[in-house]
Amino acid sequence: MLELQALSKHFGGVHAVDDLSLTVNRGEIFGLIGPNGSGKSTTVNLICGVLPVTAGTISFEGHDITSAQPHRAVAAGLARTFQNIRLFSHLTVWQNLWVAQGRTDGHESSRFVKRWLAGDSTARRSVSDLIAFAGLSDRGDEYAGNLAFGEQRRLELARALATGPKLLLLDEPAAGMNLEEVRELDERLRQLVERGITILLVEHVMELVMGVTDRIAVLNFGRKIAEGTPAEIQNDEAVQEAYLGSSNKA
Amino acid sequence: MDDHLIQVLSNIGMITFIALSAYVLLLTGEISFGQQAFFAISAYASGIATAMWGWSFWLGLLWGAGVAGFAAFLLAWPTLRMRGLYFAIGTLAFAEMVRLIFEVFHYQIEIDGEMVGPNGSEGFRGIRYIFENNISEFQYMMIIYALLASVLVFLFAIERTRVGAIFRMLGEDELLAEMQGVNRTYYKVMATVIAGLIAGIGGALFAHMNTYVEPKIFNVMLGVHSLAYGLIGGLGTALGPLIGVSLDIGLLESTRMFTGYRMVVFGGLVAILLIFRPRGLLDEEAVHAIRSAWRRKTPSTRQQSEIDAPD
Repeated sequence: MLELQALSKHFGGVHAVDDLSLTVNRGEIFGLIGPNGSGKSTTVNLICGVLPVTAGTISFEGHDITSAQPHRAVAAGLARTFQNIRLFSHLTVWQNLWVAQGRTDGHESSRFVKRWLAGDSTARRSVSDLIAFAGLSDRGDEYAGNLAFGEQRRLELARALATGPKLLLLDEPAAGMNLEEVRELDERLRQLVERGITILLVEHVMELVMGVTDRIAVLNFGRKIAEGTPAEIQNDEAVQEAYLGSSNKA
Repeated sequence: MDDHLIQVLSNIGMITFIALSAYVLLLTGEISFGQQAFFAISAYASGIATAMWGWSFWLGLLWGAGVAGFAAFLLAWPTLRMRGLYFAIGTLAFAEMVRLIFEVFHYQIEIDGEMVGPNGSEGFRGIRYIFENNISEFQYMMIIYALLASVLVFLFAIERTRVGAIFRMLGEDELLAEMQGVNRTYYKVMATVIAGLIAGIGGALFAHMNTYVEPKIFNVMLGVHSLAYGLIGGLGTALGPLIGVSLDIGLLESTRMFTGYRMVVFGGLVAILLIFRPRGLLDEEAVHAIRSAWRRKTPSTRQQSEIDAPD
């Protein structure tokens, strides 16, 4: 579904991502792990079109999206969450989800008028669904910035889902969560896969990665040093050396 | 109504256009020091149309606003890649450039044995359509407010649509907006053009009320003020800039309460507001609170989300 081929990103002399190739298959949860600064977030930014690629190609469902602008990547069916929660805090929960309903790529003007006149009930319904999915049913009118931390996390996931993605890129969704919340997230991700969404999970929290993913790729200094099932990765010597160090937490 | 009051109210109305123009860009997160350029472009273009080409006022107004909107469209492309401070500098440079071009812009024709038209720094005299057609000052004031009301209704309508939400999204977090599928270029150009059109309407009205314009009217202080009006009145609603203008022109300038110290008082007001209400008197939260209070008063058994859906 998503295919990176010999992808590289250099910042001056720093090779943030170096000759990275990997394939994410439809319907799986693919884990991308690695020590801090190993190029995980850069990879996500490259896929979304936020950063220009130095070399290599990215294709999504057979289409080349290497140099697609972010909104084109979104239109193609990509969505992401951010390492630190990013929401429109001066907009309501409702508005945060509403805008992404229906593609806003600029070719909607005529449809827009029609929808405005017709009162677009489909979009309204799906926003309500998303709010319910995020467990925020009675908070729709609240400013996103006034929500509690956990609520904001759930809203952020709903915000990404609002674009109707086929592939969801999650950048450290479990950061700052306690074990209970991690279990909830684990459950939520499985629900998404059942809904037919493929997930690329960038994560530090091993309890989540090892439990929920189908396959994992390990990055170190921008290079892929291992790929395989969670069990294979846990027993990989190169990974243990580079990432887990001597104290094998996993 | 006495003449002084009519004049003050007309001034408030006209300046509100340029304040609204800056407001639209503030919504999208851009600080423009250059909206006076579109005001100026339309003042000249509409004046040329009515005084020299013999067009009617309404046609001249449309033409002026259209030229200003087109100029905004052209400006949008080079400034698109500029953010924050650089956008502010870019727009300032553009506006000064426009002003300096009008300083050397000569285009005169003879009408009834008199030379009419822009004459460089001497200005452009004889935009007399309003007088020649016996439109009273009161009537002209009503024209100003009718147009202002239309623009406000237009902006309210936009606020309630997805476009309005997108403008605010871009203002808060451009990258995130793009990751929600928003075509940044498209909406930024749209906001710039809308801002140019609105400033253009004001510029045409200004030229015809004053009967003459000169380049130095459109200096950077006009742009700075128009920015400040939105920030004083509040960015939560399009009424904010109107409140800002009313406070400054209506209260400070016209009552001559602080003769000589007006700019000091105005500057102080801006500074105090930036500390206590950085997004103005009627900021988003205030508007939201007022709306919710209003809603609670009107009995309704509908679901909150149904009322909320602003389409």
